Amino acid sequence: MKLEGKYTFKATPERLWELFTDPKYLEKAIPGCEKMGEREPGKYDITVKIGISAVKGTYSGKLEVADEEPPKRCRLIGEGAGSPGFVKGEGTVELSQQGDSTIVSYKGEAQVGGLIAGVGQRLISGIAKMMLGQFFRNIKKVLKSQT
Amino acid sequence: MKPSAFEYLSPGSVAEAIELLERYKDEAKIIAGGQSLVPMMNFRLARPEILIDINGIKELDYIREEGDELVIGALTRERDLELSPLVIERCPILAKAVSFIGHSPIRNRGTIGGSLVHADPSAEIPTTVCALNAEMKVVGPSGERILGPEEFFLSYLTTSLEPSDILVEVKIPVLPEKTGWSFMELSRRAGDFAIVAVAIILFMGEGGLCSEARISMGGVAPTPIRAEEAEELLAGQAITDVLIDKSGQEAGEATDTEPDYHASAEYRMDMTRVFVQRGLKEARKMVNGGQ
Amino acid sequence: MAESRRIVVKVNGLEYQREVEHRRLLVDFLRDDLELVGTHIGCEHGICGSCTILFNGRAIRSCLMFAVQAYGAKIMTVEGLARDGKLHPLQEAFREHHGLQCGYCTPGMLITAYELLNDNPNPTEEEVRETMAGVLCRCTGYKQVIDSVMAAAAKMRGK
Repeated sequence: MKLEGKYTFKATPERLWELFTDPKYLEKAIPGCEKMGEREPGKYDITVKIGISAVKGTYSGKLEVADEEPPKRCRLIGEGAGSPGFVKGEGTVELSQQGDSTIVSYKGEAQVGGLIAGVGQRLISGIAKMMLGQFFRNIKKVLKSQT
Repeated sequence: MKPSAFEYLSPGSVAEAIELLERYKDEAKIIAGGQSLVPMMNFRLARPEILIDINGIKELDYIREEGDELVIGALTRERDLELSPLVIERCPILAKAVSFIGHSPIRNRGTIGGSLVHADPSAEIPTTVCALNAEMKVVGPSGERILGPEEFFLSYLTTSLEPSDILVEVKIPVLPEKTGWSFMELSRRAGDFAIVAVAIILFMGEGGLCSEARISMGGVAPTPIRAEEAEELLAGQAITDVLIDKSGQEAGEATDTEPDYHASAEYRMDMTRVFVQRGLKEARKMVNGGQ
Repeated sequence: MAESRRIVVKVNGLEYQREVEHRRLLVDFLRDDLELVGTHIGCEHGICGSCTILFNGRAIRSCLMFAVQAYGAKIMTVEGLARDGKLHPLQEAFREHHGLQCGYCTPGMLITAYELLNDNPNPTEEEVRETMAGVLCRCTGYKQVIDSVMAAAAKMRGK
């Protein structure tokens, strides 16, 4: 599925860049993230616990921050697997300054497989978008807690 | 696949059920009709360690008229809503909407409470409840509270219920006599999940003018949504073909949908427009006594 | 954590007592524990209808209920349609009007039709179509199923 969207934050691109690329902030922003450890610079192991309706699962996976052009652009590559299924995705995040705000636009693709993909097809894209929304709201919270 | 093992408990009262939820928290899941939960368990997508069967709490199964409201217990079976003379007479849009749920064996077990708490945005009961501005009574360890649809439905399959809460009752306004209404849904086959569902209520005022229009749409957003701008267009107006056309357009633009296996976002948006227009025409026809 | 318990249930007029795992689906209990293999399993998520049985007088999907939930219930399966060796009019009609080919969906069709005619002895063809759509059939194209149910209805009304 294709994922695309924009979020506006009241912060400079430099400030946001930090949040998107530093694991200690990513850990707070990724919904359900329980653990995040750095294997090598830019490559992380993550454990995420997600529960939607009665479907609860722990997913372990990898996240990579690549092709960094601070503070304008980077690529995020991720994959995770758990009992309900697996997900693989990558996308570009672009930051552009507008006055004292920054518009963050993301564009990417994700593949979902396993049980949830077979049974939950109807809702997968919507739920993926919802979780991305949660991610960006969490970034907003982190920003707020630091001002 | 067969479900994974679980402990099975069947409380006899709401208080007992809440106590069990409090005790087991994350590990427990309530089963009512089971028509959404058991498929998930059969696929092992859901693996509750404790199943709390509330089918024994018979006091939650009722349909009553209280003043200008219908008061419905959360455990009331969908089939009973469909066939209830009280619902057919006082809130016919609900009886009609329920008749689109799957097939009769599903409706024989499925409950109004289960459908609401499952909160599938394309489901008939959530969509209709949004058009009706129904009130959901929720009971939890800290007492009782009443939630309107916007407070109740948060997102896909997500309500504002806390882990130890139970939905016990739904209050629905009785529709006034001259009200026009319509429930329609688009699906590939009868009984399939709706691609788009539309519930419309036209409250009429003096001189054949619409006093208030309610357009609730399912399957086009993370929760059922009301097409507020489309509704505004009709408020206080005569329901002309031109207005119906515009209202449908406006409703389509209010959708917030993702493409999926069954339909692209553009298709859903366009079908929303079509079904809102058709639904408004049907509701208007009803107001005019079938002409 | 206890994982099984004793249940008592009446099926086709006979009472059974068995120890069952909580996670045992009603359809598997009927087929494997009681050896009433007339009820079939097609999808395990409530869509195909081949598992449909009568539960306290109502048609339900037995793949969506746990056996432990059936404690004290009165169940009728397709085996309960014939009485004293004589086929039920629905079964006769299905035979006469070729309402089955492979027969896999047939128990679901029969129980669904049984409930329909119980509630509505004189259904229109449209009503029969709508109700029987609740059971998936890949063989007949439904025409013979509809014909069979309409014929049975007429016979049961005494025509």
